[in-house]
Amino acid sequence: MSDPRLPSLMIVGMARNGAEALELFSQTQPDLVTMDLTMPEMDGVECTESMTHLNADAGILVVSALSDKATAIKALKKGAKGFLYKPFTDEQLVNALLEMMS
Amino acid sequence: MADITEQEIQVFVGAVNRYFEQMTGEKAKIQASFLAEGEILPPIYDFTGLINVGGQYQGCIYFSASKILLMRLLLALHEPRQNDLHMLDAVGEIANTLAGNAREYFGEAMTISVPITFQGASDLLKSAVRKRPYIIMIKWKQYEASVIVDVVRK
Repeated sequence: MSDPRLPSLMIVGMARNGAEALELFSQTQPDLVTMDLTMPEMDGVECTESMTHLNADAGILVVSALSDKATAIKALKKGAKGFLYKPFTDEQLVNALLEMMS
Repeated sequence: MADITEQEIQVFVGAVNRYFEQMTGEKAKIQASFLAEGEILPPIYDFTGLINVGGQYQGCIYFSASKILLMRLLLALHEPRQNDLHMLDAVGEIANTLAGNAREYFGEAMTISVPITFQGASDLLKSAVRKRPYIIMIKWKQYEASVIVDVVRK
Protein backbone atom coordinates (compact mmCIF):
# COMPACT_ATOMS: atom_id res chain seq x y z
CA MET A 1 0.00 0.00 0.00
CA SER A 2 1.37 3.43 -0.89
CA ASP A 3 -0.28 6.77 -0.31
CA PRO A 4 1.21 10.20 -0.97
CA ARG A 5 -0.14 11.49 2.35
CA LEU A 6 1.96 8.99 4.30
CA PRO A 7 5.65 9.52 5.02
CA SER A 8 7.98 6.75 3.98
CA LEU A 9 7.36 3.83 6.32
CA MET A 10 9.53 0.77 6.74
CA ILE A 11 8.23 -2.51 8.16
CA VAL A 12 10.81 -3.60 10.71
CA GLY A 13 9.13 -6.78 11.89
CA MET A 14 6.08 -9.03 11.85
CA ALA A 15 5.07 -11.39 14.63
CA ARG A 16 2.64 -14.29 14.78
CA ASN A 17 1.87 -14.06 18.48
CA GLY A 18 2.02 -11.65 21.39
CA ALA A 19 5.24 -12.97 22.93
CA GLU A 20 7.07 -12.75 19.62
CA ALA A 21 5.67 -9.24 19.08
CA LEU A 22 6.99 -8.08 22.42
CA GLU A 23 10.44 -9.47 21.70
CA LEU A 24 10.52 -7.80 18.28
CA PHE A 25 9.31 -4.56 19.82
CA SER A 26 12.25 -4.52 22.23
CA GLN A 27 14.72 -5.30 19.47
CA THR A 28 13.48 -2.92 16.78
CA GLN A 29 11.91 -0.09 18.81
CA PRO A 30 9.33 0.88 16.19
CA ASP A 31 7.45 4.18 16.07
CA LEU A 32 4.23 2.47 15.01
CA VAL A 33 2.71 -0.90 15.78
CA THR A 34 -0.42 -2.46 14.30
CA MET A 35 -1.72 -4.90 16.87
CA ASP A 36 -4.25 -7.71 16.54
CA LEU A 37 -6.14 -8.66 19.69
CA THR A 38 -6.87 -12.35 19.26
CA MET A 39 -3.41 -13.91 19.34
CA PRO A 40 -1.92 -17.05 20.86
CA GLU A 41 0.40 -16.96 23.91
CA MET A 42 -0.27 -13.32 24.83
CA ASP A 43 -3.36 -11.44 23.67
CA GLY A 44 -3.23 -7.99 22.12
CA VAL A 45 -4.46 -6.10 25.19
CA GLU A 46 -1.75 -7.59 27.39
CA CYS A 47 0.85 -7.06 24.68
CA THR A 48 -0.22 -3.42 24.28
CA GLU A 49 0.17 -2.88 28.01
CA SER A 50 3.67 -4.41 28.03
CA MET A 51 4.78 -2.37 25.02
CA THR A 52 3.48 0.82 26.60
CA HIS A 53 5.57 0.07 29.69
CA LEU A 54 8.63 -0.31 27.47
CA ASN A 55 7.96 2.80 25.38
CA ALA A 56 4.95 4.97 26.12
CA ASP A 57 5.59 7.07 22.99
CA ALA A 58 5.13 4.18 20.54
CA GLY A 59 1.94 4.53 18.55
CA ILE A 60 -0.02 1.33 18.90
CA LEU A 61 -2.93 0.95 16.51
CA VAL A 62 -5.14 -1.95 17.45
CA VAL A 63 -6.54 -3.63 14.36
CA SER A 64 -9.18 -6.09 15.35
CA ALA A 65 -12.40 -7.78 14.32
CA LEU A 66 -13.61 -7.65 17.92
CA SER A 67 -16.17 -4.97 17.32
CA ASP A 68 -17.71 -4.63 20.76
CA LYS A 69 -17.01 -1.28 22.36
CA ALA A 70 -15.80 -2.78 25.64
CA THR A 71 -12.81 -4.41 23.95
CA ALA A 72 -11.83 -1.18 22.21
CA ILE A 73 -12.03 0.74 25.48
CA LYS A 74 -9.95 -1.92 27.25
CA ALA A 75 -7.22 -1.66 24.61
CA LEU A 76 -7.22 2.15 24.72
CA LYS A 77 -6.96 2.10 28.50
CA LYS A 78 -3.90 -0.12 28.26
CA GLY A 79 -2.10 2.36 26.04
CA ALA A 80 -3.32 1.88 22.46
CA LYS A 81 -3.49 5.18 20.56
CA GLY A 82 -6.09 4.08 18.05
CA PHE A 83 -8.49 1.29 17.13
CA LEU A 84 -9.39 0.13 13.64
CA TYR A 85 -12.14 -2.42 13.10
CA LYS A 86 -11.70 -5.22 10.60
CA PRO A 87 -12.61 -5.38 7.80
CA PHE A 88 -11.23 -2.01 6.71
CA THR A 89 -10.35 -0.32 3.45
CA ASP A 90 -6.92 1.05 2.46
CA GLU A 91 -8.35 4.54 2.93
CA GLN A 92 -9.44 3.77 6.49
CA LEU A 93 -6.00 2.37 7.32
CA VAL A 94 -4.23 5.43 5.88
CA ASN A 95 -6.52 7.74 7.84
CA ALA A 96 -5.91 5.81 11.05
CA LEU A 97 -2.14 5.93 10.55
CA LEU A 98 -2.23 9.65 9.74
CA GLU A 99 -4.24 10.31 12.85
CA MET A 100 -1.71 8.36 14.92
CA MET A 101 1.18 10.35 13.49
CA SER A 102 -0.44 13.77 13.80
CA MET B 1 -28.59 -25.16 26.42
CA ALA B 2 -30.51 -22.92 24.05
CA ASP B 3 -30.11 -22.48 20.36
CA ILE B 4 -29.16 -19.11 19.04
CA THR B 5 -32.01 -17.75 16.98
CA GLU B 6 -32.54 -17.35 13.25
CA GLN B 7 -32.40 -13.59 13.80
CA GLU B 8 -29.03 -13.93 15.52
CA ILE B 9 -27.74 -15.86 12.50
CA GLN B 10 -28.35 -12.71 10.47
CA VAL B 11 -25.48 -11.16 12.44
CA PHE B 12 -23.13 -13.56 10.63
CA VAL B 13 -24.79 -12.93 7.27
CA GLY B 14 -24.22 -9.21 7.81
CA ALA B 15 -20.58 -9.84 8.72
CA VAL B 16 -20.04 -11.86 5.51
CA ASN B 17 -21.57 -9.09 3.40
CA ARG B 18 -19.47 -6.45 5.12
CA TYR B 19 -16.25 -8.43 4.73
CA PHE B 20 -16.43 -9.01 0.98
CA GLU B 21 -17.78 -5.58 0.14
CA GLN B 22 -15.27 -3.76 2.29
CA MET B 23 -12.22 -5.81 1.34
CA THR B 24 -12.86 -6.36 -2.36
CA GLY B 25 -15.42 -3.75 -3.33
CA GLU B 26 -17.61 -6.57 -4.59
CA LYS B 27 -20.49 -8.00 -2.61
CA ALA B 28 -20.81 -11.71 -1.99
CA LYS B 29 -24.15 -13.30 -2.79
CA ILE B 30 -25.79 -15.14 0.05
CA GLN B 31 -27.19 -18.05 -1.87
CA ALA B 32 -28.89 -19.75 1.02
CA SER B 33 -29.02 -19.69 4.78
CA PHE B 34 -30.55 -22.77 6.34
CA LEU B 35 -30.44 -25.36 9.09
CA ALA B 36 -28.65 -28.55 8.10
CA GLU B 37 -31.19 -31.35 8.03
CA GLY B 38 -30.94 -35.08 8.44
CA GLU B 39 -27.80 -36.48 6.96
CA ILE B 40 -26.72 -33.33 5.18
CA LEU B 41 -23.12 -32.62 6.08
CA PRO B 42 -21.95 -29.02 6.22
CA PRO B 43 -20.25 -28.10 2.92
CA ILE B 44 -16.50 -28.03 3.42
CA TYR B 45 -14.24 -26.78 0.64
CA ASP B 46 -10.47 -26.86 0.16
CA PHE B 47 -9.48 -24.60 3.07
CA THR B 48 -11.27 -23.99 6.37
CA GLY B 49 -10.77 -21.63 9.29
CA LEU B 50 -12.40 -22.53 12.58
CA ILE B 51 -13.02 -20.39 15.64
CA ASN B 52 -14.00 -21.99 18.92
CA VAL B 53 -16.55 -20.05 20.90
CA GLY B 54 -16.70 -19.94 24.69
CA GLY B 55 -17.89 -17.82 27.60
CA GLN B 56 -21.67 -17.95 27.81
CA TYR B 57 -21.73 -19.72 24.45
CA GLN B 58 -20.37 -23.01 23.25
CA GLY B 59 -19.46 -24.32 19.83
CA CYS B 60 -17.64 -23.12 16.78
CA ILE B 61 -17.90 -20.95 13.72
CA TYR B 62 -16.13 -21.87 10.53
CA PHE B 63 -15.46 -20.36 7.18
CA SER B 64 -14.64 -22.73 4.34
CA ALA B 65 -13.70 -21.76 0.80
CA SER B 66 -12.53 -23.22 -2.46
CA LYS B 67 -8.93 -22.74 -3.56
CA ILE B 68 -9.96 -20.70 -6.58
CA LEU B 69 -12.02 -18.29 -4.45
CA LEU B 70 -9.06 -17.76 -2.14
CA MET B 71 -6.67 -17.21 -5.06
CA ARG B 72 -8.98 -14.54 -6.46
CA LEU B 73 -9.48 -13.01 -3.04
CA LEU B 74 -5.74 -12.78 -2.34
CA LEU B 75 -5.28 -11.15 -5.75
CA ALA B 76 -8.04 -8.67 -4.93
CA LEU B 77 -6.21 -7.88 -1.67
CA HIS B 78 -3.00 -7.22 -3.66
CA GLU B 79 -1.29 -10.21 -2.03
CA PRO B 80 1.33 -11.36 -4.54
CA ARG B 81 1.77 -14.80 -2.94
CA GLN B 82 -1.02 -17.33 -3.20
CA ASN B 83 0.40 -20.54 -1.84
CA ASP B 84 -1.35 -22.96 0.54
CA LEU B 85 0.05 -21.20 3.62
CA HIS B 86 -1.41 -17.89 2.51
CA MET B 87 -4.73 -19.54 1.83
CA LEU B 88 -4.76 -21.05 5.31
CA ASP B 89 -3.95 -17.61 6.71
CA ALA B 90 -6.78 -16.11 4.69
CA VAL B 91 -9.49 -18.54 5.90
CA GLY B 92 -8.27 -18.09 9.48
CA GLU B 93 -8.39 -14.32 9.11
CA ILE B 94 -11.89 -14.39 7.61
CA ALA B 95 -13.22 -16.74 10.31
CA ASN B 96 -11.67 -14.46 12.93
CA THR B 97 -13.21 -11.38 11.34
CA LEU B 98 -16.70 -12.92 11.12
CA ALA B 99 -16.61 -14.18 14.72
CA GLY B 100 -15.08 -10.94 15.98
CA ASN B 101 -17.67 -8.82 14.22
CA ALA B 102 -20.43 -10.94 15.75
CA ARG B 103 -19.29 -9.78 19.19
CA GLU B 104 -20.78 -6.40 18.38
CA TYR B 105 -24.11 -8.17 18.87
CA PHE B 106 -23.23 -10.88 21.39
CA GLY B 107 -20.84 -8.76 23.46
CA GLU B 108 -18.05 -9.90 25.75
CA ALA B 109 -20.18 -12.84 26.87
CA MET B 110 -18.95 -14.57 23.73
CA THR B 111 -15.23 -15.32 23.81
CA ILE B 112 -13.47 -16.45 20.68
CA SER B 113 -10.33 -18.49 20.16
CA VAL B 114 -7.47 -17.85 17.80
CA PRO B 115 -8.20 -19.39 14.40
CA ILE B 116 -7.49 -23.06 13.73
CA THR B 117 -6.99 -23.73 10.05
CA PHE B 118 -6.87 -26.87 7.96
CA GLN B 119 -6.88 -28.10 4.43
CA GLY B 120 -9.49 -30.59 3.26
CA ALA B 121 -11.54 -32.63 5.71
CA SER B 122 -10.71 -32.73 9.41
CA ASP B 123 -11.79 -34.58 12.52
CA LEU B 124 -12.25 -31.17 14.13
CA LEU B 125 -15.53 -30.88 12.26
CA LYS B 126 -16.99 -33.77 14.21
CA SER B 127 -16.90 -31.78 17.43
CA ALA B 128 -20.20 -30.13 16.62
CA VAL B 129 -22.49 -29.19 19.48
CA ARG B 130 -25.72 -28.86 17.52
CA LYS B 131 -27.44 -31.60 15.63
CA ARG B 132 -28.40 -29.08 13.01
CA PRO B 133 -25.82 -26.34 12.50
CA TYR B 134 -26.72 -23.23 10.51
CA ILE B 135 -25.20 -23.10 7.08
CA ILE B 136 -24.72 -19.93 5.08
CA MET B 137 -23.84 -20.60 1.44
CA ILE B 138 -21.89 -17.83 -0.26
CA LYS B 139 -20.94 -17.07 -3.82
CA TRP B 140 -18.32 -14.41 -4.48
CA LYS B 141 -17.75 -13.79 -8.16
CA GLN B 142 -18.63 -17.29 -9.37
CA TYR B 143 -16.81 -19.11 -6.56
CA GLU B 144 -18.26 -20.83 -3.54
CA ALA B 145 -17.68 -20.69 0.17
CA SER B 146 -19.65 -21.43 3.30
CA VAL B 147 -20.00 -20.18 6.84
CA ILE B 148 -21.15 -22.73 9.38
CA VAL B 149 -22.45 -21.58 12.73
CA ASP B 150 -22.57 -24.37 15.28
CA VAL B 151 -23.16 -22.44 18.48
CA VAL B 152 -25.49 -22.79 21.48
CA ARG B 153 -26.12 -20.49 24.39
CA LYS B 154 -25.14 -22.14 27.70
